[in-house]
Parts: sequence; structure tokens; C-alpha cells
Amino acid sequence: MMVLKINGEDKEFAGVLPATMKELLGVLKVDEATVVAEIDGQIIRKDNFGGTKLTAGQKIELIRLVGGG
Amino acid sequence: MIKLSCEQFKEMLIERHGEAVYEKLKAATVGIAGLGGLGSNVAVALVRVGVGKLVIADFDIVEPSNLNRQNYFVAQLGADKVNATIENLKKINPYVEIKGVSVKLNPENVPAVFKDCPIVAECFDKAQSKQMLIETILGSMKKTIVVAASGLAGYGKSNEIRTKKISERLIMVGDSENGIEKGLSLMACRVIIAAGHQANAIVELLINSF
Repeated sequence: MMVLKINGEDKEFAGVLPATMKELLGVLKVDEATVVAEIDGQIIRKDNFGGTKLTAGQKIELIRLVGGG
Repeated sequence: MIKLSCEQFKEMLIERHGEAVYEKLKAATVGIAGLGGLGSNVAVALVRVGVGKLVIADFDIVEPSNLNRQNYFVAQLGADKVNATIENLKKINPYVEIKGVSVKLNPENVPAVFKDCPIVAECFDKAQSKQMLIETILGSMKKTIVVAASGLAGYGKSNEIRTKKISERLIMVGDSENGIEKGLSLMACRVIIAAGHQANAIVELLINSF
């Protein structure tokens, strides 16, 4: 079982991990335009979601933003 | 009218906070991106506690629909928000230093606008704008901390608004769920709670981490 730590919780993927951040967001149904993503404390720019490969064991923070201010 | 000199203002704040805290806050420069319900209220709190310098940015004017939660007055309708905010803050503390920037912030101008700010409060309304600011600061300003807000629409549930340290340079305030996308209204009470969380997190950083 492949595991990513997402927002502090282990998420298991049977078989293969989503290959990229873009794929992960698709699996989780997260809107790319309103999320801030970090891998192991490093920001991943929205434009690089498709080119950012994921590997098992990474710590991922996905901050979903909602409107209002 | 009673006047308060700069020296008297300083003495008042030192009497409240002690000299060490006063000096840290006085020496600080904080950025505020967006002067709506969050930003206009974060600014008031920071000026009242004695933060020495603010860099405030917005492109908008004061409209009637702002008055339910933003720190503006009927007489300021139609005014540039940056100018109206400076006017209001100077009434609280005439000696605070404020750099106002009337511009629509984007990834290209954010680093220059906030170059002197070790901490920036993200106070936008739209989710995409929040994303842009957080991504730009974390990606392009390697030493800057961003204190952002998400999830503050509606009423009640005061204690679901929380301050959470996500990583070394990102602090998030809000309940992370209740946005305008759900059709919820923005109301002064909950917006001001979130603004208070943001200002409080900034003061804590300034006193303990700088």
C-alpha cells in the first residue's frame, strides 16, 4: 500500500500513487484554482501541479480556500 | 480639542504593554493585502496595539455594500479605500506610519509592494485572489510570513474560527469551510472575529519571533 500524508493524515492508495500533484487533486476532487499545495513544507505553484511528481511518504498540505473577506 | 503628543502616545502604550513589547511593535512593518472586511479591521487592531508601520494595498472604492462589515463610514462612500483607511487609522494614532498603495495586486507586483514587510496579512475576498497571494509570497518572497483567512462567512460558530500554523511561513485563520460559495452572507461579527485572529497571530509573531 502506498501512503501520502495529506493534511496530517495518512492516505493510502491501492496499487499506484497519483503520478503528479494535478492527478492527486483530481482524485480528491479539489479545485486547482483555489488550493495552495505544499510538499514537505515547500510551496508548489499552481502552474507546476502537472509537472510535480509525487513519491510515497511525502507530507502534503492542501489548503482549500473559500471566498469571503 | 484635546491633543495627544507623540511622546504622550508612546507613554500610554508603554504603560499598557511594557517597554520591550512597545519597542518590538513600534519597530515592526506589516503588510495588509486587501482593505475589505478583513483588512480594514486588521489594520485598526494593529494600529491600536502600536505597530509602527503598515503597508496597505487595495484597488477598490468604498461602496454601500461594504458598510455591513468594513471599517468605513457613509461620508467615505466613493472614496479610494486606501485613502479612507489612512484617514481612519490616523484618527486612532496620528503618529503611525502608513504606506498606501492603490493597485490591483498580482504575482508581478506583490513582491515589490510588500518588500519591507516580514509579515503580510492576506485579506482578500475572492478565493482565487487568496490563492494568488499565498502562492506568490511563499514562492517568491523567501523570508516573508503570510497570515491568511479562509472560512468566515455566516454567523454563529464563533469558536470554529481557528488560527492554525500550516508551515513555517503560513498561518491560516478561519473555519476553512464556510465561504460565500455556499450562499452565506458576510457579516461584521464573524468577519471581525477572523480579523482579530489574524491581527492577534501577527502580534504574537512580532513579539516572540522577531
